[in-house]
Amino acid sequence: MKKQLDLMDIQGNVLRAYGRYNFPLARYVFINIRDGARGRDFLKRVTERVTTAVSWGEGPDPIQKPLHTLNVAFTYQGLKALELPRASLIGFPMEFVMGMRPRADILGDDKRSAPEHWDPIWRDSRHRDRHKDVHAWLAINAQTPAALHDGYEELLQLVHDTAGGVLVLTGHRGDDGKENLAYQDVHVLFENGKPTSKEHFGYTDGIGDPVFEGMPSKPERVVGRGKQMKDGTWAPLETGEFILGHRDEAQEYPSAPSPQLLSRNGTFMVYRKLHENVGSFNQLVEEEGSKYPGGKELLAAKFVGRWRDNGAPLVSAPDATSKAAWDDRFSRAAPLEKDRMLSGFTYNDDMQGGKCPFSSHIRRINPRASLEFNKDAFDTPGALSNRRRVLRRGLPYGQVNDPTRDDGNHGIVIMMLNASISRQFEFVQQQWINYGNDFHAANEKDIILGNHGDDDAPSRAVIQVEPDSDDAPYILKKIPRLVETRGGDYFFVPSMTALRMMAQGIVDPT
Amino acid sequence: MGNVSNNAYALTCLSPIKKGHYSGTAYSDEVRRRLQQWGLHEQSPMAKVPQTYLTRFFVLDDVYYESLPGTDFGGTWYDILSIFSDRFRRAALPKEDHLESKYLVWCCNLHGDMDTYLRAMWHSIGDDIRSLWEFCYGFEDVKGADTFVHYIKQCQLSASLFFVGSNDASLEEQLKGLYLKQEFSRFAAEHQGLPPAELQQAYRAFIERVQPQNLAGPSWRPGQSRP
Amino acid sequence: MSNIAGKAYAMNVITPIRWYMTWINKVIFLVAQKRPSTLNGLMTLSLIHYARWVIIGRNQFPHLSPQQPKEKLNYSYMLFFSNFNGSWAQYVDSFTFAIPSGLDLFWKWNIRYPKSVPLTPFHSYIQFNQIQTDHYYTAYPLAAANDVKAAKRVKTALIEFDTQFGNADPDQFFKQYKALLRGLQHDMGDMQPTPIISLAEQAKGH
Repeated sequence: MKKQLDLMDIQGNVLRAYGRYNFPLARYVFINIRDGARGRDFLKRVTERVTTAVSWGEGPDPIQKPLHTLNVAFTYQGLKALELPRASLIGFPMEFVMGMRPRADILGDDKRSAPEHWDPIWRDSRHRDRHKDVHAWLAINAQTPAALHDGYEELLQLVHDTAGGVLVLTGHRGDDGKENLAYQDVHVLFENGKPTSKEHFGYTDGIGDPVFEGMPSKPERVVGRGKQMKDGTWAPLETGEFILGHRDEAQEYPSAPSPQLLSRNGTFMVYRKLHENVGSFNQLVEEEGSKYPGGKELLAAKFVGRWRDNGAPLVSAPDATSKAAWDDRFSRAAPLEKDRMLSGFTYNDDMQGGKCPFSSHIRRINPRASLEFNKDAFDTPGALSNRRRVLRRGLPYGQVNDPTRDDGNHGIVIMMLNASISRQFEFVQQQWINYGNDFHAANEKDIILGNHGDDDAPSRAVIQVEPDSDDAPYILKKIPRLVETRGGDYFFVPSMTALRMMAQGIVDPT
Repeated sequence: MGNVSNNAYALTCLSPIKKGHYSGTAYSDEVRRRLQQWGLHEQSPMAKVPQTYLTRFFVLDDVYYESLPGTDFGGTWYDILSIFSDRFRRAALPKEDHLESKYLVWCCNLHGDMDTYLRAMWHSIGDDIRSLWEFCYGFEDVKGADTFVHYIKQCQLSASLFFVGSNDASLEEQLKGLYLKQEFSRFAAEHQGLPPAELQQAYRAFIERVQPQNLAGPSWRPGQSRP
Repeated sequence: MSNIAGKAYAMNVITPIRWYMTWINKVIFLVAQKRPSTLNGLMTLSLIHYARWVIIGRNQFPHLSPQQPKEKLNYSYMLFFSNFNGSWAQYVDSFTFAIPSGLDLFWKWNIRYPKSVPLTPFHSYIQFNQIQTDHYYTAYPLAAANDVKAAKRVKTALIEFDTQFGNADPDQFFKQYKALLRGLQHDMGDMQPTPIISLAEQAKGH
């Protein structure tokens, strides 16, 4: 019997990347809870407006798609401020309790990515003044600017009604050097007036989100997004990799705080604001691209593993000729086929990295079955990557006014949802993005996201060639740090049931 | 023989530690204290012992009592019998073991044969050896390399399975290889794009500097912790 | 952090095994050694420098002096020593994800072994039976097992190339040099100190 999830109990942002559903704008507001009782009261009223994962316009008594959505998540400090019982609190995993900031060392958030360079709201959270701690994330996703405005005003009203019980934290950086905004805005990037899925380096983003059991999704979409099986088919990943209270890939329920009603159908979210050094990126593409056989766009594709313009995967389109053929097929393909062309590939025919380099971004964050260097050595081909997947949400922020400069307000806010922050996000960040041993690359990093050193420890990356090529592999030298962390933290995204119980103060782990 | 994998050798020793104290600190605790004071990486005494790949020491205080639940041999059978008598349920619970002595455990992965290794060890870090083993039963008879080898053999256990994940080359070979890997990959990166004649010239200079075939030439030092 | 030296982690695990079951383990280990395909999963994981299993019969603890009391034990013991790369969690997880049946084969005969799947009881079992290392040394803190293997390939290939083509004419040299780099394209990663694996790094002392 196919597993069914309680869509009305799970928050909408967990199952949906709103940006793909005609919500091109979002605003993230962060609050500090000064008074437990009024905080719970606030939560009660927020919960009445929270958007669930229900499928819009479907079934008997359908719920219509809203003009703007609302979702909420809490840091450990926030749960404490709501006065959750201690016995529930100590059941949360250690990394969540600590938060992202004290873990900067193991995340590689050093030098220009270190907390002292973060946006003031993050720099000051979990630092010296408890009144500046980020307790909760509230997200409004909107179809139009007017809808965003409405959603935001409604939220501010709820905050105002607590008469100081809850306060909005300021300190987000924005355009024109502003450092004290009361929210983080993100938005889809537009090209010629039309919304795109691009980010500021020009890459098409948001492809290849995982497919798991119970997700409302067309079955065909599992190809390339689920787990690769020995017989070449694909299966959905276990729900428990992404949602608490369900079986995971290790045949058990993920560890979660008590009681079950608090954790079931909830999950953890890693929020990270990543500044993009657009100037350095463009310079890298220019300088190296002029030397690279194959040219600039191919080189840019090698950084990520996909061509910039439409996300064509390099394993399917390793050079300009095959790209042209791929583009042609793509333009004539129906939506499901398009999706398969984008996501439904393996590295089985690219075990040398001649098509998609070992240090390219998508290969690093999701190696699929390519870590099984000897066929059939493992229980299942994706054994080493099935439990390292995350759901990716978020959008770009800011805009690039001068593509030759790094400063300016431009980057992405990424939110990663997973059942275990340490096993999923932190592992990938530490072992696969900022390190290369599993890819036989010693200390070499993910070209796009790695915390590349300065002249004291310059970063290299090898761009492999096919074994029967006449060329030598191309070595990228002195890779600049292309992305810098500007803040973030770890959040718990409760289910609707948990929200209601937390608001009422009746969470009881006895 | 389980300890040997081509040219790599797995030396496992358990040396029983006497009961007694060193200025109020139990001998076993003193051994641990001394171990924890040893320098790290290139500062470790073991860096001076030729052909040492990786090695560790710890003091084994006691065995653990397995209180954890889990599958048990004959488990279901015991479950059924337990219906008839509680004697079976109690018999299925783990027994409590204790060691009479504490042991200094030394696990060493080395290249070559054991006797040669131990002799060289005695000659290079004899003082550290004495400081570590002086409180062990039988060590009072150790006066020199020969008696040290004899003593270690009495403490030695054989491995049932020795798995070599990297290789069994001599330490000099491994270190030279690592040095060459580091230097050559940097060379390749820095001289990328040069025309053939210039590249070859630079290459010749590189070979002269790194001397690939000369194990005694430039190389990484044992325990080197900075590139 | 005494279990870590550079890129290597020293794991020591001691577990009791019924004395009359040790023969099964010894047979399994013998077969594994004779049939290298059994260890294919381990080799592919490529995380281990050297590892060993030692079985100590309950009467086989070294006895060196009449003054030393003899051990009186109910169980025999299996000692497991591993030198691996990556974090503790990565290592333990890799085994349960990739070769759960192999793990079970080696440990099934030990008291209270909970099987390698599901994960949490297995994690607890290993953690419970693990002993902290007091001193750990690796001859190459900057090198993972992959690096040591790559290093051998680089040395061999470089010497062979130099012998054959080092003094060839520039065009021939260049062609073969590119072939050399192609052959070594997975062996040329830059080696640097290990990333910080654990926050206990801060408690390193000295």
